[in-house]
Amino acid sequence: MKLSIRGAGPSLHLRVPQSSSRRPSLLLFFPNIESAVRVLSGAKGTAVPIPLDAGVLKTLAFFRRASNRATELLRAADTPAAIRARLLLAATLYGLEAIAGESYLERRMQIIPDGVVGVRAGEIAYRAAKEGRTIHVDRAVPAEADGVVSAVNSPRPDAVLSFAHYQSAIDVLSGKRQAVVALGSGEVRIGGLLPLVQGLFAVLDRLSWYMGVEV
Amino acid sequence: MSDISGEESGAAGGISGRGADTQDSRFAASMAYFERAAKVIPGGIYGSKSPGFLVPGHFPYYLSRARGSRIYDADGNEFIDYLCGYGSQIVGYGNPAVDGPALEQARKGDLLNQPHPVMVELAERLVGLVNDMDWAVFVKNGTDATTLATSIARADTRKQVIISAEGAYHGAANWCSTNVFPVFMQAEQRDVRFFPYNDIQALEALFAANRGNIACIILTPYHHPTYKPQQLPTPEFLTAVERLCRAESAYFIMDDIRANFRLDVHGSHTFFGAHPDLITMGKALANGYPISVLLGTDGLRKTASSFFITGTYWMSAVPMIAAMATLDEMERMGGTAQLARHGRMLKDGLESLGREAGFRARVSGPLAIPYMTFDEDPDLYLNQRFCAAMADRGVFMHPHHNWFISLAHTEEDIARTLEAARSAFEELRLFSSSERF
Repeated sequence: MKLSIRGAGPSLHLRVPQSSSRRPSLLLFFPNIESAVRVLSGAKGTAVPIPLDAGVLKTLAFFRRASNRATELLRAADTPAAIRARLLLAATLYGLEAIAGESYLERRMQIIPDGVVGVRAGEIAYRAAKEGRTIHVDRAVPAEADGVVSAVNSPRPDAVLSFAHYQSAIDVLSGKRQAVVALGSGEVRIGGLLPLVQGLFAVLDRLSWYMGVEV
Repeated sequence: MSDISGEESGAAGGISGRGADTQDSRFAASMAYFERAAKVIPGGIYGSKSPGFLVPGHFPYYLSRARGSRIYDADGNEFIDYLCGYGSQIVGYGNPAVDGPALEQARKGDLLNQPHPVMVELAERLVGLVNDMDWAVFVKNGTDATTLATSIARADTRKQVIISAEGAYHGAANWCSTNVFPVFMQAEQRDVRFFPYNDIQALEALFAANRGNIACIILTPYHHPTYKPQQLPTPEFLTAVERLCRAESAYFIMDDIRANFRLDVHGSHTFFGAHPDLITMGKALANGYPISVLLGTDGLRKTASSFFITGTYWMSAVPMIAAMATLDEMERMGGTAQLARHGRMLKDGLESLGREAGFRARVSGPLAIPYMTFDEDPDLYLNQRFCAAMADRGVFMHPHHNWFISLAHTEEDIARTLEAARSAFEELRLFSSSERF
């Protein structure tokens, strides 16, 4: 499906699991940014579903179920730590991808060296590639996200950011624990090209400002 | 409130969430202090001393005392120190030849309403010692000196633009810090331009693009960016800097805060054959007592005189007494020749041991201010692992910041360091071939 917000740049594409078609079957159109923020954060707001191809109902139903479920999981106290950590990490990293190009961050992105950061919490692993003014995030298998020093074990990320426990990831990404403090106490570990991973921490400041939460 | 002397005082407070591979028991007091600090100090420990800048679990966070070439942490662990208070220790921690007169003056009075006569003596001594300089102004931190230098250059030229090398560190003020918040970029950082160090073409292009607006260029005597090998200036580069400054009527500021007196007692510009208009010095100037200095040429005396230069502590007497004593003691202990000799032992030894273990370890920079990196690993994983292994063996070598040799380092210290390095390289080799970071 395709999500489009009037006045907010290019559309986003979301591939629904088990979908074989590469063409979007549904355009979810938000008339303004405020509506998008409300709907996507679980409140009431205006979203206009526009069918584009067959399978539209299935796609819309999946999106509704998935987005509601994600919100529930983040809010529920009894959500397993692994799931909360996965949701928060995904929101954080794809959030970085979304805001990397904005003008506010231009100078900051200039001084962050290019490279790949492997991010890991337990079995959850991502690779975030910073190049110029863009950040591209991919899920990765854990072995790839580790900082493997041996040259034969390439591709090795240029830097690694790993959380000792799922709860460490949750605490840091939800703002309950300062990242620098978690780093000092061993709950978070960074290695490799530190200006790269520390630079992305700085970009996170901007993300939390947008999202209205400490991430 | 627990004992503030720190060491082994059983700092109250719990430790939480340590990783399995960290060394809790070795740094229990450091960790306990850090947990307490996190509640009342932003980030626990801020700036360049932040634990994240080292390798947590292998380095102490709090130090309690030091003597000669050794430092002792809050848990009582001893290290041979190659950071030297970020360069401020040149004749060794607790050197009685410096501390004796300094403490005597402290008893007589440190911060007085008017300057102590030693201020005149120190200014005369530095002007006589540092080549090409005609006047001196004393401040506290390096940032005070570099900020004053660029301000005087701007006021004198009535131009705004400051040129600096990419990755260079000139202090923590908003005009030069790495805090690239847009609000500062639109103000204090707006007129600061950068070029790649030693790149004459890029520098010429920058001068051409800003012609008529350049107040000064500020350079360290050689390039010591964090996280990267150090770079010495090419002779052509410094000649080009001076030529471009003359053509633009801009000033050449040499920021000698970090290197001063380790390369040449007459100033690092003398070592490299440069001719700056303004020089900043600090760190080793008083062996750790808080004082920095801005030195200048006659042409800028009038503008400097017109500045309202003041700070509550800027004229305190003890650091000036310490600076005089440090200069005497440096010469007595062997001066730059000994620093270079010991630096050579360390460099050759480390590179040789690295080769034996199958690494391309390279020690860059001047002999007295070395920094080792691995050519095969620009991401510094090997640096981090090596320095962690050295810290485990009682040698404090920073993984991301250049190191310093002091006159308190003995041949025995260097030999013990190399003995530890042999074992650290071996650990690195085993780790490299079989394990993950």
